[in-house]
Amino acid sequence: MPLMTPTIGSQLVDLGSALLLLTCFGIVAQRRLSACVDLFALQSVFLALTATLVAFLTGIHHIYIAAALTIVIKAIVIPRILKKVIERLNVSRELVMHINVPASLLICGVLVMIAFLITQPIIPFGHLLTRDSLAIALAIVLIGFFTMIARQKAVTQMIAFLVMENGLFLGATAATYGMPLVVELGVFFDVLVAALIAGIYTNRLQDAFDSVDTAHLSELKE
Amino acid sequence: MSDLPTTIAVSLLLLAPLVAGGLSLLLTGSRWLHVANLTSIGTLVAAEVMIARSVLEQGSLTAFGEIVYIDALSSVILFIIGTVGLACSLYMRSYMDEQVARGVIAPKRLNLFFFLFHMFLLTMVVATVANSLGVQWVAIEATTLTTTFLIAFWRRRESLEAGWKYLILCSVGISLALFGVVLMYYSSLRVLGDVSSALNITQLQQVASQLDPHILKLAFVFLFVGYGTKVGLVPMHSWLPDAYTEAPAPVAAMLAGVLETVAVYAILRCRGIVDQAVPPAFTGELFAVFGLVSFALAAFFILLQHNYKRLFAYSSIEHMGLAMVGFGIGGPIGNFGGLFHLVNHALAKSLAFFAAGNIHRRFKTVEITEVHGLTTVLPWSALALLIAGLALAALPPFALFASELQIITALGSSGLPGEWTQPGTRFPIVVLLFCSLVAFGGLLYHITSMVWGVAPKDIVPGEQWSVGHVPIILLGTVLVGFCWALPPPLQQLFEAAATLLISR
Repeated sequence: MPLMTPTIGSQLVDLGSALLLLTCFGIVAQRRLSACVDLFALQSVFLALTATLVAFLTGIHHIYIAAALTIVIKAIVIPRILKKVIERLNVSRELVMHINVPASLLICGVLVMIAFLITQPIIPFGHLLTRDSLAIALAIVLIGFFTMIARQKAVTQMIAFLVMENGLFLGATAATYGMPLVVELGVFFDVLVAALIAGIYTNRLQDAFDSVDTAHLSELKE
Repeated sequence: MSDLPTTIAVSLLLLAPLVAGGLSLLLTGSRWLHVANLTSIGTLVAAEVMIARSVLEQGSLTAFGEIVYIDALSSVILFIIGTVGLACSLYMRSYMDEQVARGVIAPKRLNLFFFLFHMFLLTMVVATVANSLGVQWVAIEATTLTTTFLIAFWRRRESLEAGWKYLILCSVGISLALFGVVLMYYSSLRVLGDVSSALNITQLQQVASQLDPHILKLAFVFLFVGYGTKVGLVPMHSWLPDAYTEAPAPVAAMLAGVLETVAVYAILRCRGIVDQAVPPAFTGELFAVFGLVSFALAAFFILLQHNYKRLFAYSSIEHMGLAMVGFGIGGPIGNFGGLFHLVNHALAKSLAFFAAGNIHRRFKTVEITEVHGLTTVLPWSALALLIAGLALAALPPFALFASELQIITALGSSGLPGEWTQPGTRFPIVVLLFCSLVAFGGLLYHITSMVWGVAPKDIVPGEQWSVGHVPIILLGTVLVGFCWALPPPLQQLFEAAATLLISR
């Protein structure tokens, strides 16, 4: 590329990935649900920027489409759905936490290290431009996974799932410059439908339990 | 490489559920909904038979410019989807109508039910025939999305809880599988270089031996855990008993019989590629260990159940575990036994859930201790429950006995894969036999207490004949028949599929 040398390009991609990881920590540390949604939207914007950067540097056009879809679906549509759900439910904070914020952050730090450890043997095979992002992508997936376990509100669980998806998308962009377009479109469709379904669920759960605290979901036991 | 008749058959396979799903939203009146449903599933089965014949004659086939790839293994899975789907559709004719008549659901909601049911079928067919591993992933995630409202269909608190749990756990599991798919793509791009088709099974199979073993190992672990959640392997199984208990009976039958099988199929597909680059003991060991643990734990949980639908759910985990052990051992007998076990389990489990559905509607309880004297109250369902129970306990003369025997024979002759068992150790066999004995005792104890005894006084005895009894009788007959002799075409199909699974 004439405009940017590969080193600067790869450093910028690394910067984008690092910002994504940073927002992950923000989501883990944040108790206010609407702030969590904002952070998720911000993360999606970072993701789209990183993807655009990769598309620009490599000249692969279909990544632009994926980046545009990320902005529309993950930074605009899904946050709106989640905000509506929060508004209707009148819950603004995550009150009871299985694991408190400092401990959560510490665990997430460990998860990042684990992610780098796991991907160590396979990183050298990647493209020069984006290879460090694979480790960060795995770290984001693991943090999303952890948040899912550690938080109780249905909305937070949904955000955690979406964070995992963001991590996967970063992984796909970083490691392979995106998946085949059909697959990427399918994944976007699935994520959007999942978010809609979760929205419907929270309404019904609210009607049935007067709460969306998943701790109330304990009637089914052995 | 596909001639016109097969192309038509493949299009019918995909169009039938799609069209029927669209019609389900437009039609009014349960009669027409059922007509659309049965026509669609009938078309599906006919298309499958045509495809299976062509696969037997000419080997694997691709259609629509390599978007669709079908070989003997996918044909076996299509066979299961078709058979169980047909049985469920017949059963739904009486089951759903009675729910509407009793006012449990509004007639309007029947449209939604059938729409979701067809979308469920469609996503499973797509997952089975897709050539691209990525498209397969999208379809399997879509099965989660289509079934979650089917599980929560009664909208009780418990069903909402079960549906939510299922949605969250399976979506998370499936996300991990997507990471595996990404890694797979990562490894294949380095060899193939072509962006659009590097996830296609046809392409991957050709270059599999050149792929990087480190990446493939990592990819397979993620794929196995991800799709394993959907199979319901311990310790990712906790959504399964809740979902099976709360789902309407035909949906539970589809989940247990078909969805799990499709998830196993997705793992087997990836394994076929990974095994060519990595020593087969690596994947075999994962299959065998997870299978054995699921089998053993589920066997003990069967003993503890007091709810008959949960009983069948744990029995599903048990049998899936056993099939995984079969695939883990590998070789001609292990793979054939595993496949045959998948088929038999699908048939027996749908029979079990049909019987359970009938009992639930009459007794209005899922507690084993409150159900007695089925022989007088519901004689046909009692017979069905007994057959399903004996079959699931793997007694002769039922087909599960034959397949379980094959898996145990394979275990005896080749032992578990991997390094952690010495050749010739009897330990795994002892564990397997002991746990099947526990499961056998648990199932028989619970089921006999339901079938015999004195019926509660407030329950009206007598069972009216309905369309719903046709699949019950057919499934029972097939379960006995398969133990003695497989029809030759099916035998050939299973053998061809088992040969595909043997790792080189």
